[in-house]
Amino acid sequence: MNKIILMALLCISFMANAITLDDVQRSFASQPVVRAKFQQDRQISGMAQPLHSSGEVLIAKSKGLWWQQQHPFPMTLVLDDSHMVQVMGSQAPQIITADSNPQMFQFNHLLRALFQADRKVLDENFSSAFTDQGNGKWQLVLTPTTTPLDKLFSTITLEGDKYLNRIALNDLQGDFTEITFSDHRPNPRKLTHEEQQRFAF
Amino acid sequence: MHRRLAWSWLAIVTVLVVLLATLLPKARLDSSVLSLLPASSLGKVPPQIENGFLQRLDRQMMWMVSPGNQPDPAAAQWWQTQLQQQPFLAGVQGPMDAKGQQEWGKFYFEHRNGLVDNQTRGRLQNGGEAQAQWVLSQLYSAFSGVSGKELTNDPLMLVRGSQLALQQTASQMRLMNGWLVARDKQGRYWYLLHGELKGSSFDMQQGRKAVEQLQALQQNLKQHFPQAEVMSRGTLFYSDYASQQAKHDVSTLGLATVIGVLLLVLAVFRSVRPLLLCATSVAIGALAGTAITLLCFGELHLMTLVMSMSIVGVSADYTLYYLTERMVHGGENSPIASLRKVLPALLLALATTAIAYLIMILAPFPGIRQLAVFAASGLIASCLTVVCWYPFAVRGLPIRAVPCSRLLTAWLEAWQNQKAVRFGVPLALLMVSLAGMASLKINDDIASFQALPQDLVREEQAITALTGQGMDQKWLVVYGDTAEQTLQRLEKLAPELAEAKKQKAIESYRLIPLASLEQQQADLQLLREAAPILQKRLAESGIPVTAPNLQQMAVTPDLWQKSVISSGWRLLWLSLPDGKSGALVPVNGVHNSELLANIAAKLPGVSWVDRKVMFNELFSHFRSLLTILLAAAVVAIAISYVLRLGVKRGLLSVVPSLLSLGCGLAALSFSGHTLNLFSLLALVLVLGIGINYTLFFSNPRGTPLTSLLAISVALLTTLFTLGMLVFSQTQAIASFGIVLSCGIFCAFLTAPLALPTQGKRE
Repeated sequence: MNKIILMALLCISFMANAITLDDVQRSFASQPVVRAKFQQDRQISGMAQPLHSSGEVLIAKSKGLWWQQQHPFPMTLVLDDSHMVQVMGSQAPQIITADSNPQMFQFNHLLRALFQADRKVLDENFSSAFTDQGNGKWQLVLTPTTTPLDKLFSTITLEGDKYLNRIALNDLQGDFTEITFSDHRPNPRKLTHEEQQRFAF
Repeated sequence: MHRRLAWSWLAIVTVLVVLLATLLPKARLDSSVLSLLPASSLGKVPPQIENGFLQRLDRQMMWMVSPGNQPDPAAAQWWQTQLQQQPFLAGVQGPMDAKGQQEWGKFYFEHRNGLVDNQTRGRLQNGGEAQAQWVLSQLYSAFSGVSGKELTNDPLMLVRGSQLALQQTASQMRLMNGWLVARDKQGRYWYLLHGELKGSSFDMQQGRKAVEQLQALQQNLKQHFPQAEVMSRGTLFYSDYASQQAKHDVSTLGLATVIGVLLLVLAVFRSVRPLLLCATSVAIGALAGTAITLLCFGELHLMTLVMSMSIVGVSADYTLYYLTERMVHGGENSPIASLRKVLPALLLALATTAIAYLIMILAPFPGIRQLAVFAASGLIASCLTVVCWYPFAVRGLPIRAVPCSRLLTAWLEAWQNQKAVRFGVPLALLMVSLAGMASLKINDDIASFQALPQDLVREEQAITALTGQGMDQKWLVVYGDTAEQTLQRLEKLAPELAEAKKQKAIESYRLIPLASLEQQQADLQLLREAAPILQKRLAESGIPVTAPNLQQMAVTPDLWQKSVISSGWRLLWLSLPDGKSGALVPVNGVHNSELLANIAAKLPGVSWVDRKVMFNELFSHFRSLLTILLAAAVVAIAISYVLRLGVKRGLLSVVPSLLSLGCGLAALSFSGHTLNLFSLLALVLVLGIGINYTLFFSNPRGTPLTSLLAISVALLTTLFTLGMLVFSQTQAIASFGIVLSCGIFCAFLTAPLALPTQGKRE
């Protein structure tokens, strides 16, 4: 009985507290697999119309990131612990391994860190400002501190609640990219056989 | 009569001096070990190119500075500033600054049509559809950072393509604030710096000073940055270590040698003059050897010189033999009469030894031929010096009875009268020889000859692990009459290397990112075909772009070398004033050296250089060759004995030589060493010395006791000089000393075998 009361008290005090980056990281970490749709709008300065693209994304804690653009043309990007693979149209896959090119791989880790709110990697590369926007919503503004990131982006903004809902990238050249995620599907909590194949090379 | 002989010899020596003085300035003293190889196995790399690369590589220095577990360039920056102030260093490079980065980008942009990389080239094939797809994917990717400006200026994204390609060939290092940085398993960050020595790294004095200065700087760095650590790499550190070790050997062993020989000569002869006389005859031998060898070959190899000098050093025995004779019998005989007494033995010893060494002229190696000529002519000159001059040089030398005569007489008596000694000693030595030789191991691995200092090796391995650039000294040399030809040959080699890497025969290689003009022209054609497709595809996606600039933007090796983009690659390219050019392609993680040798053999102007394998082959080659030559020399000596003394005594006289060779080898085996080239060279000396001992004894005109004294003194002298090498810290030299000492001691022990038996003498 005492235990239940204690638990309830703990829960209340937890709810009363503001959300922190650590909470977000913990919450993301509790989702072994998340599938979602993405919609990307990319505005390049000097170009009349933005570039729209859309597709499917799969984030698996144990495997990595699978990003498949379906429109306007198919392109797949897979990032895992030791590979970075890009498949485009009919071309042979481009594979970069961690051993052969840590420089490029740094970027890989970073991308995954963004999607998993991995505090350690983020702190190494950005100064961050976290705000609780109420109703379980939060915003994280990241300012790059390391090269080559600081040559590419002025800020990267993440927004979400239980899931990551939006990433906004401000390029240094004045370009702007916005990626929004929808239709999050955490179940099944394990990768299906077909999904596992996406990470096999 | 003899006086005239002396003057004639002086005249000849003068001629030799003049000869040497005229030949020496023109002569080439060759110190490259590779030139000892037979010409056919060297490949056809023009020597200027090969030497140019080797010298350059020997000058390279590399440092990695770690501030600790937090990235911070301050320590590395401090280190760079200090290095830049060192007078012995040039071109110290650390980070690429903003200006450098801008120039870099500018050069790539202005020459993008001439700097097409392999991957882009692949996408441009078949009309360039693949390139268009790739450009689109870059445009759509949120993380690619393509700007509108980039698309307008370089719609084909050639600069982007070549930069990505470069990043992939780049090492395992990342760029931080312009620095190349690696991170080790313990999480330490390491900042990379490069530099070059101003002089040759083998200049001993300069090398020592430089190493000391660098060590002091390292201490200094620790004071400024307590967490900081430095690792260094360069041939300098190894050559300094080797010279320090040699210096230690010379100073300790050298002192022992000088004191030992001086005391010995004083004790026996009661005068220092014999020492001077020995030195004179050896010096004249060396002089004659050098002059005659230069006359015959026009050049002299350093290794030949060193080796031949020690052979000529054996000629001190001649002087000692004559001086002993004088000391003992000086009272009853005139100097000339003493000479007559020893002359047959001297000449026989000379002739036999000269024949033994001259057989080596048959060897197909220039180095060994030089050695044969040098040794033979040097020994002749030394002997002639003794014969012609020394009867006049010995006047007034103290005359005294044989010291320790009782001991020496007992030894001789035992040999002549006691079967136990006459048969027992040689038999015992035979058993020892056989037992030792049975367990003798051969080792031609050059790395095992010298134990490298552990801390240097550890740093070297750590740097290799961090940078992915080893110091294996394995590379392909590509060369041609012109820069263009060389580059075209490189382009023929590239697919072969890619295939070898795919087959896992090698782990990685570095090709300079520079195309031949022919290739650049072909690339331009591809670009012109691909441009319209690209414009069409982009327009379909609603992205209008202007037509790309398709002018030729030729990048010549000259332009490339002067530009900032060749930084980090310049070491791998060499152009001679006459246009001949070479490129170095370092290969890492070689699992199949043979495959690379085959590739090189197949392609014109490509040569595979695996220095370690090459040295090992060289050493094993020489070792087997010397074994054969040594056997041939023994046979020749045996024949000369048999012809002179008849079958029985002739063969008996070879026994000491054979036993001394056997015991030398056995000693090597028992002391835990392995047989290598150096031990064989020691055997060559043992053979020559053994001949002297035997022949001094078998001289029918000589007194056995005097002969025994002479060879005892000769033995001790040699032990004090060359025998001291046993205590060398360099393993190869120590093994040389062991073979030599034990071999000549055995020759000394068994030399009385050559004595006529008591019965026959009476």
